[in-house]
Amino acid sequence: MDFQLTEAQRLIRDTVREFAEKELAPLAAELDRLKRYPEKPLQRLAELGVLGMTMPPEYGGAGADTVSSCLALMEISRACASTGVTVSLHNTLTCEIIYRHGTEDQRQRYLPALCRGELLGAFSLTEPTSGSDAASLRTTAIRRGDRYVLNGTKQFVTNGSRAGAIILFASTDPPRGEKGITAFLIEPLFPGFRVGKREDKMGLRASDTTELVLEDCQVPVENRIGEEGEGFKIALSSLVTGRAGIAAQAVGIAQACLDASIRYAKERRQFGQPIAEFQAIQWKLANMATETEAARLLTLRAAARKDRGLPCTMEASMAKLFASEAANRSAAEAVQIHGGYGYLQDFPVERYMRDARVLTIYEGTSEIHRLIVARQLLSPSPQPSPPV
Amino acid sequence: MHTIVCIKQIIDPEIPADQFKLDASTKRQVRGGLSLVISAYDQNALEVALQLREKVGGKVTALCLGESGAMGAIKTALGMAVDEGVLVSDPPLLESDPFGVVHILAKAIQKIGVPDLVLTGCVSGDTGDKVMGPLIAEELGLPCVTFVSKVEVKDGKALVRRIVEDGYELVEAAFPLVVSIISDDSNVPRYSKLKDIMVAAKKQVPTWKTADLGLDGERVGAGAARLQMRDVSIPERDSKCEILDGETPEERAERLALRLRELKVI
Repeated sequence: MDFQLTEAQRLIRDTVREFAEKELAPLAAELDRLKRYPEKPLQRLAELGVLGMTMPPEYGGAGADTVSSCLALMEISRACASTGVTVSLHNTLTCEIIYRHGTEDQRQRYLPALCRGELLGAFSLTEPTSGSDAASLRTTAIRRGDRYVLNGTKQFVTNGSRAGAIILFASTDPPRGEKGITAFLIEPLFPGFRVGKREDKMGLRASDTTELVLEDCQVPVENRIGEEGEGFKIALSSLVTGRAGIAAQAVGIAQACLDASIRYAKERRQFGQPIAEFQAIQWKLANMATETEAARLLTLRAAARKDRGLPCTMEASMAKLFASEAANRSAAEAVQIHGGYGYLQDFPVERYMRDARVLTIYEGTSEIHRLIVARQLLSPSPQPSPPV
Repeated sequence: MHTIVCIKQIIDPEIPADQFKLDASTKRQVRGGLSLVISAYDQNALEVALQLREKVGGKVTALCLGESGAMGAIKTALGMAVDEGVLVSDPPLLESDPFGVVHILAKAIQKIGVPDLVLTGCVSGDTGDKVMGPLIAEELGLPCVTFVSKVEVKDGKALVRRIVEDGYELVEAAFPLVVSIISDDSNVPRYSKLKDIMVAAKKQVPTWKTADLGLDGERVGAGAARLQMRDVSIPERDSKCEILDGETPEERAERLALRLRELKVI
């Protein structure tokens, strides 16, 4: 077992950490308060090569591995979780799907612009009546000559109003259920496409979450990703990297909770001593640190398995499940350690707690991930998971 | 235009003060597992070199004397898109005093090939020494300009902006020369780009030892040190809080000003 990062992974982590601490963290509270999209930080991240970082250099990426991608997302989310989810969606879903499942023409048309940050990516599967039961989606796509005509409403789309390239799922053959789902690459200027309501969220308030409305939306056939009926398979395979990305976001938030709590516990004095001297506080810090570290290792292990071409569906689900719940526990403890001040917007832990809450809900609820893990365990021919 | 930038790896000055420790016997900082970075002014020097390369072409080499872990500093410099790196690492050499260090660096520079320009930070980020630039110049027999923010090339000569109290001097100097770099708005170190990091990680960096450099054994190592740190300590900080009363903000401000004057703070 080797827990050492490679030189490239270490340098990427350190560079993104320095950027996040110096340029992102000072903006995070204001972006959250004003619900302001992190436009400038995203442009700077594009300049550094973080957007589309796992794409090969011929498409404008840095050719970094999934472990590096997770390390970068941890550092970004530690400073600003809204920016974290924005980058995560862009990198781990949009870019990955176009690269893994797109045609060469689609890669050439979209990936360089996505890596330069000229286009932002989105992923649109959820609908008002189709969440965890993703295969029950109602949006339809009917082929008319060299176009598809899409109708339906999509919900909770991260980057929805900002994206220039949206991976969107619709049914080309509703009676076939999940086998009738097809993936499309939608541009916002396609006729019949419009952005619906912008959601007013509890946390991640600087990120963009919208409804998308398709009214006879005209999509050229060359913007179909994969074959008809392959959409659900594409969605599920891509969600593995997406889940590792969200797990990384959770680790970043949990680390931020721990950092803030250690700082506060050393400064805050009660009964004549810093509260860090009290064992009740020490145990909280120890639990937070242990859980954050466990979440980090699960996340990096899932990412490392993906990089080595090993199965990682269960590992990604374990990482996302544990990290998202650990981040929520850490955030709750961070607020508790801060006492009354933790409840105020003057201290960052209030934001961390709001930001952490959605982690157990999006990209598969905790309940769905327990189901995925259990099904793998109880499968007639379970794949024994090696130690690394 | 070939520029060699001498860089030093130090403990990150941003670490919390309570993590900073001194070894009582060696009088040196204890590195332990603390985060290590390139000394701040050396980072400025790297930036100056990279800006110069962007304007006039050529290449930049980062040179570092340090422990084997200082390869991390070289890799960081390569990540900033420096062309080449050389690490000099041999435990006995690390016991040298500044005169010994300069002899080692000068020999390494000669082995690389004396470039058009040698840059150093103006102050060492950990020990506070300000001698590297001038001593390297002396050793190599080159002119030296210190406390410089920017280097340009004009009519085949260097035009350097030297920061002085309340202003600056523009100094013209012939290449090759040695320049020590000060921190300035014009030389804020750039972030590495991920593409450059991926290239840097794969680059081979030579590590030179005593035998590779033809060093004068009388001038390097602990035995040759002419300067010795006799004592060093971490200043004790005591903080206490005073609350000043007052009916109005003006009254409180006046009391604060008086109290600060009494404490000789203002």
